Amino acid sequence: MTSVAGTPSSTSDRTQAARFVPGQPDMWAFVLFEALVFTAYFTVYVFNRARSPDLFLESQTHLDLRVGVFNTLVLLASSWFVARCVQAAREGSFRAATTNAFLTMLFGFVFLVSKVREWAAEIEQGFTFTSDEFFSFYYFLTAIHFLHLLIGFGVLAIAVHQLRSPARRSQETIETCATYWHTIDFLWVMIFALLYVMR
Amino acid sequence: MNAGFEKRLFVVWLALSAITIAQLGVGSLEGQAARIPNAAITAGAILIALVKVRIIFREFMEVRHAPALLCRLTDLWVVFTGVTLLGGYFAGLAFST
Repeated sequence: MTSVAGTPSSTSDRTQAARFVPGQPDMWAFVLFEALVFTAYFTVYVFNRARSPDLFLESQTHLDLRVGVFNTLVLLASSWFVARCVQAAREGSFRAATTNAFLTMLFGFVFLVSKVREWAAEIEQGFTFTSDEFFSFYYFLTAIHFLHLLIGFGVLAIAVHQLRSPARRSQETIETCATYWHTIDFLWVMIFALLYVMR
Repeated sequence: MNAGFEKRLFVVWLALSAITIAQLGVGSLEGQAARIPNAAITAGAILIALVKVRIIFREFMEVRHAPALLCRLTDLWVVFTGVTLLGGYFAGLAFST
């Protein structure tokens, strides 16, 4: 957290003084870059989808919307826990922060298992990467998101490692880790809408 | 933990989850209805997703406390993504096979 020190002299200064970049600005540059890369993937997908609506809609019926909703709820819960982790660490409640970081990992793991099960079910039904254009996009988008999720576990491990020792604790690093994890969440929110809900 | 902040995070999580569950009703079309392109559902799904993402930015990622530049950049991404996705969808429909 990059808070501005000093005593503000006016309301405007006070507002300015309260403002801070959560985590390292470098992580925000990465997040915005990643978000733009995903926007490009999403745009190519919706364009191709709209060009061949019958094929995409037929293939989409083989996805289970309830699984998509479940996965979204799980990741939203993980984001909530990591936001609580940041707040607890900021207030010096490091035990609570560590607990929330572990809960974030737990929900991330539930998502991971659910996603692998969903892939296995699709493959069992004969829907693979090469089945058709819809499933090529489905596997590509969910796999690249999955890769970000795996990196996210490493990032959370850094946060836990820092939280467990007073000598290592850095609020900025914990906020940076949380920012990365939230990115996994908001990218999934978009993927869920595009693969499971849109028609 | 600060009770006010904790309550706010809980309400945000509850709202995001409620919106997601509501999408279950919109997206769970059965039979022939599931196989008919629907621009309204598509536009709605994209816009609702972007609203959810903006809430995540502002509340969970604390962009509402961030300097104006970060607020504007995240809002710009939301608008840009909305325009490109809807533009891509309707352009695709115009060139549909």
